[in-house]
Amino acid sequence: MNVIEVNNVYKSFKVYHDKGGTLKEKVLFKKRNRYEENQVLKGIDLNIKKGEVVGLIGQNGCGKSTLLKLMTKIIYPDKGTIEVKGKVSSLLELGAGFHPDMSGRENIYTNASIFGLTKKEIDNRIEKIIDFSELGEFVDNPVRTYSSGMYMRLAFSVAINVDAEILLIDEILAVGDSNFQQKCFERLRELKQKGITIVIVTHDTGTIERFCSRAIWLDKGLLQSDGKVSIVVDDYLRYMNLKRIDSIEKNHIEESREPENLETNKKENHSIAQNEIVEKEDVNNINYSDNRFGLKHIEITKAIIKNTEKEETRVLKGGEEVEIEIHYKVNKPLEEYVFGIGFYTLEGLCIYGSNTQLDRLKIKHTDNKGVVRYKIDRLPLLTGIYGLNIAVVDENGTPMDFIRNYCNFNVVSNDRSVGLISVKHKWIITDGGK
Amino acid sequence: MITGIKELYGYREMLRNLVRKDLRTRYKGSFLGFLWTFINPLLQLIVYTIVFSTIMRTNIDKFYMYLFVALIPWIFFTSSIQGGATSIITNKDLIKKIYFPRLIIPLSVVNAAFMNMLFSMVVVFIVLLISGIGLSKYILLLPLVMILEYLFVLGLSFMFSALNVYFRDLEHILGIITMVWFYLTPIVYGVDMIPEKYLGLFYLNPMTNMVIAYRDILYYKKVPDFSTFGSIFAWSVIFIVLGYVVFQNLQKNFVEEL
Repeated sequence: MNVIEVNNVYKSFKVYHDKGGTLKEKVLFKKRNRYEENQVLKGIDLNIKKGEVVGLIGQNGCGKSTLLKLMTKIIYPDKGTIEVKGKVSSLLELGAGFHPDMSGRENIYTNASIFGLTKKEIDNRIEKIIDFSELGEFVDNPVRTYSSGMYMRLAFSVAINVDAEILLIDEILAVGDSNFQQKCFERLRELKQKGITIVIVTHDTGTIERFCSRAIWLDKGLLQSDGKVSIVVDDYLRYMNLKRIDSIEKNHIEESREPENLETNKKENHSIAQNEIVEKEDVNNINYSDNRFGLKHIEITKAIIKNTEKEETRVLKGGEEVEIEIHYKVNKPLEEYVFGIGFYTLEGLCIYGSNTQLDRLKIKHTDNKGVVRYKIDRLPLLTGIYGLNIAVVDENGTPMDFIRNYCNFNVVSNDRSVGLISVKHKWIITDGGK
Repeated sequence: MITGIKELYGYREMLRNLVRKDLRTRYKGSFLGFLWTFINPLLQLIVYTIVFSTIMRTNIDKFYMYLFVALIPWIFFTSSIQGGATSIITNKDLIKKIYFPRLIIPLSVVNAAFMNMLFSMVVVFIVLLISGIGLSKYILLLPLVMILEYLFVLGLSFMFSALNVYFRDLEHILGIITMVWFYLTPIVYGVDMIPEKYLGLFYLNPMTNMVIAYRDILYYKKVPDFSTFGSIFAWSVIFIVLGYVVFQNLQKNFVEEL
């Protein structure tokens, strides 16, 4: 049985540039009443059955809160219909009608009456509500003497104890301390078991995964995905990751201009330094604590990180192909070159490193410049920021050009494991050790 | 409309709370408190008695009562529509926060004013007995007239409360309108003083017949004409239905307009 039916709902809000509410302003300043129409919902169709616990997710401004408000009938759709069958309790705005000078107990009566309870119904619940709020004897003090935590606890206790058939919740679980939150969740679970229909709006996919039986993802006023929690949440997270990559890249393009200049400056400095080093040719003079050090017989001119599409980037997707190109030039030919790369955490911990020697490759001198490519089929890093080290040494390991933290790069991974590396895995669950 | 009324019934505790708050807070902090509900009409009556029996003498017998029985329903009328007009805006915080049948708000204002009229009626009855006019058996018709006026006033309040959200000037315009309306209604004068050629126009004013009915029952101690009753009844039905429809249509955008 459907308890909530949303049929082809459209909703837009007028954003006035300068609103005049009086007749004079309406007549005289027609210009002032110019507004922009902000189309929030663009045709939503959905049915919610009795007993379902539905999580609405989506980024800011996607219309999820608007949809919830439509369900409570605080606002009405421009087009389409919404039918809600049964008594609704909304936890959108807690403490409606609370009067600071009245006691907690009196406020329970006022607040509960706004939820449509009769005096008798409130009388039957009052003890339960006070008990749940953990206010104890404070319930007879004026509400203005309450701490904000006590206030929210009282308000939440009323809203959750009105015995609604449908509960609409908007990002509320920030109520009180962690113990009280725990209690709220337990109460919600109890209600869920009783077959109460619950709709929750939240950004926290964790809440949805722990608690909901169905998830709906809204984006730009449209239903993107609806169904099994794990599938919808994964879809949503994947989309959000892509968005994040876009925005990080945009920032990089803006930022990259200045650092590049700095880099060239650095390079110039280095070339001066390099001349000195070349002149001295003293292995003992290498300062290993520098960010860049080496004898510079062979020099790295640049390194490029490329993604699956072979585009230069600083943002990579976990689990996808990555290529690191090392461009070099030779100042003084050597017998053999060894190229290496390394991934580091921002704290400087080496996660992974490899070089051509370890992989038993011998690279002889061929030309005065060249490119070496390091390629991974599946980038095994989890979401985070990492540093890239690049080095070229001779066959004895004497550093020629060693660049610590050549650049940082972002990884966005769909693997939700914790730590640094992504491991392909699965869980096998058997009963009783079978 | 029937589901709407059913829903309103479910919210009766909220309505009761709002009316009680209105009646209680009106005289909150004053020394005499709730007694003012009775003292106010009594003092008004004393003023009218002094003015009309010593300064502006008329040939109408016990003119202060003649005036007073018409003034009480008029005060109910004006305080309801003026309070009703601003009621939605006054309660906007509540309306934005949570759903409840919006009709409750103007309804509570009218109910509070109606309660005040009932208390004033107690004063009216006492003074009628003391002044020697006395009460007749036709007093039994008074509740009917009061209910019909209640419906008429309620309809108007629904309408003004909703319209005022969109045109905030309305509450100020209403002050002037009710003043003009007061003099176009036979309250300080009788229907017999209206020139013949304007009489038809005066009867178009719904409040004319309301006042006539009150005055017939309380002052003249007679049954109002059938035409008076018919007119009151018609206006009441028209306005309560019209007010309800206007309100329900306009209330959908309250939250966005407030």
